[in-house]
Amino acid sequence: MTMHRPYNLVAELTYRCPLRCAYCSNPLGHTAVHDGLDADAWARVFREAAELGVVHVGLTGGEPTARPDLAAIVAAASDADLYTHLVTAGIPITPEGLETLVGAGLRSVQLSVQDSRANASDRIAGVEAFERKLTFARAVRRLDLPLALNVVLHRENLARVDEHVALARRLGAHRLELANTQYYGWALTNRAALLPTRAQVESAAARVEAARREPGAPEIVFVLPDHHTDRPKPCMGGWGRRIVVVNPEGLVLPCHAAAELPGLEFYSVRERPLSECWRDAPGINAFRGEAWMREPCGSCPERTRDFGGCRCQAWLLTGDAATTDPACALAPERERMLRVRKEAEHPAPDLVYRGASIP
Amino acid sequence: MSDADVVFEARLQRTLDERYHHRHPFNLRMHAGELSPEEIRTWVRNRYYYQTRIPIKDGLILAKAQGPAFRREWIRRIRDHDGDAEHSGGLALWLDLAEAVGLDRDSVETLESILPGVQSACDAYVEFVKSHDLLESVAASLTELRAGELMRERAAAWEAHYTWVKPEGLHYFRARTTQAPADAEEGLRFVLENAKTPQDRDRCVAALERKCQILWNLLDAVDAAHARPRLARHAQLRLDADEPMLVLPERAVRLNDSGGEILALCDGERTAREIAGELRRRHPEVPAVEDDVHHFLAEMRRLGALEHGDHRA
Repeated sequence: MTMHRPYNLVAELTYRCPLRCAYCSNPLGHTAVHDGLDADAWARVFREAAELGVVHVGLTGGEPTARPDLAAIVAAASDADLYTHLVTAGIPITPEGLETLVGAGLRSVQLSVQDSRANASDRIAGVEAFERKLTFARAVRRLDLPLALNVVLHRENLARVDEHVALARRLGAHRLELANTQYYGWALTNRAALLPTRAQVESAAARVEAARREPGAPEIVFVLPDHHTDRPKPCMGGWGRRIVVVNPEGLVLPCHAAAELPGLEFYSVRERPLSECWRDAPGINAFRGEAWMREPCGSCPERTRDFGGCRCQAWLLTGDAATTDPACALAPERERMLRVRKEAEHPAPDLVYRGASIP
Repeated sequence: MSDADVVFEARLQRTLDERYHHRHPFNLRMHAGELSPEEIRTWVRNRYYYQTRIPIKDGLILAKAQGPAFRREWIRRIRDHDGDAEHSGGLALWLDLAEAVGLDRDSVETLESILPGVQSACDAYVEFVKSHDLLESVAASLTELRAGELMRERAAAWEAHYTWVKPEGLHYFRARTTQAPADAEEGLRFVLENAKTPQDRDRCVAALERKCQILWNLLDAVDAAHARPRLARHAQLRLDADEPMLVLPERAVRLNDSGGEILALCDGERTAREIAGELRRRHPEVPAVEDDVHHFLAEMRRLGALEHGDHRA
């Protein structure tokens, strides 16, 4: 087997989150788990990750700043010589807390807002958080850390790309990620309320293009959602290829949603070294490389670019994780994606908030 | 003028308000008297390359025109630049300026040591005119709407701040204070008359934006040559399997050995030109190694890996 070197470790430190976002893509079944791995266990994971070749670590969750021992975890990642990046909703962390993390070796921050307007952002999050997020963003810039702003896009906020860009500029973000909602986990419950129409997506894409041409514009990441394109997304840059996820329980995964797929066995860093979990777990090897691919993927020239699309989406839409992602126009079960697309044309039902969150 | 024309002209003017290079940090420093003689000389030498592209661009525009009336007017621009005889016209005046700031006239005229970023910006302008229609090409020239005012400010600023420059060098600026507004008036009239549909108007605004970007890029390249770059605080240079790797918030970039060598020289003390000179000294066998250095530094700045450093000598 070829050696698959991961470059990026996604360290999911907890499932806890003070927000109740209607599009939360965290798994549904694990809300009862508190912080699984302790700081010492994470320190070991970081050292082993660095040995495997990992360069970046993204500390995420849930909400990573809900962990009281976060500074020790940051210090451990930094000691392992990983480039340490915090992915946060900006609460409950305070500016003072951030300063401690910077002292511990934190290098960069991604802050998520649910919208660029306070009421709309708080509506999606299900709690009042917007003003605190802005205070946090200003603290990031005051400490001279690079700030990436993340706004998840959906039917309600897609038309206001200009406002999202203006907010990113006002906050001094070097990068704006306009991320289309991924319909996994809780988000699936609200798909009919959140999925935009193709016309909405195209007009947003044109606004993004214009914003990118503005002098001094931040880097703007915007990818057309695969619900409205004919090509599947190269999910995670390929299954088990560049990105390794360790979830709060210590399971080593190719993506944070993969543990939901039935019949796949993944290994845990509680029982084995990270390298073994990454190289040998049957679940990771199930869709690694190209051997698993059926037609039309197996002989498709696109397979080296899109890796057959997303396994989780294939499973969610067809019940078969090994089939071509229906986001692909060539997929045998393409019809299922076309049916989803039609949901976007209907009036939006009410949002259902994620309620079982652990405070 | 129709309402649509009024709105259209306001859009063109707003584009210039926001994007014309009068707002570029290098221009602001120039007019505030903050540039070193070395920086002035780099600008004069490099801007000459732009000057030489103007008659070529105007020749391309002439070749797109359908009628004698347009050509009769437009051809004046080529005469303004080239003159009616040797040692007359805008290009010759620019070479006078080069001499007045202490440059060798011949070396400027033969386009020695043009920064690669300047060359690509100017070439992009010629390419733009080649590949776009007459309306868009004329719209791109509308940066001249602001050139008269800029030249007036520039002549005054140079007289006040750069007293070491021989005064006869400033004739070019003075000549343009009257030529540019006449050219601009003509160009604007043409664009207003010929951009009839909303799509035409959008194309014109986009062409003017593109041109502003080209002028901006030119000054970026000149500015960068004298900056004293240093690795940004959030950037990390490390060895990965014995090869240099640059690590940034969202990406890791594998560098070749000379990339690592250049970044290691970005210490906030040396200017980009000095770094290029150092690479030349170390690698005399590599052709145009200075260009490679400037290209590489521009790419690193684009990635956010470098802080500009300050310009003070």
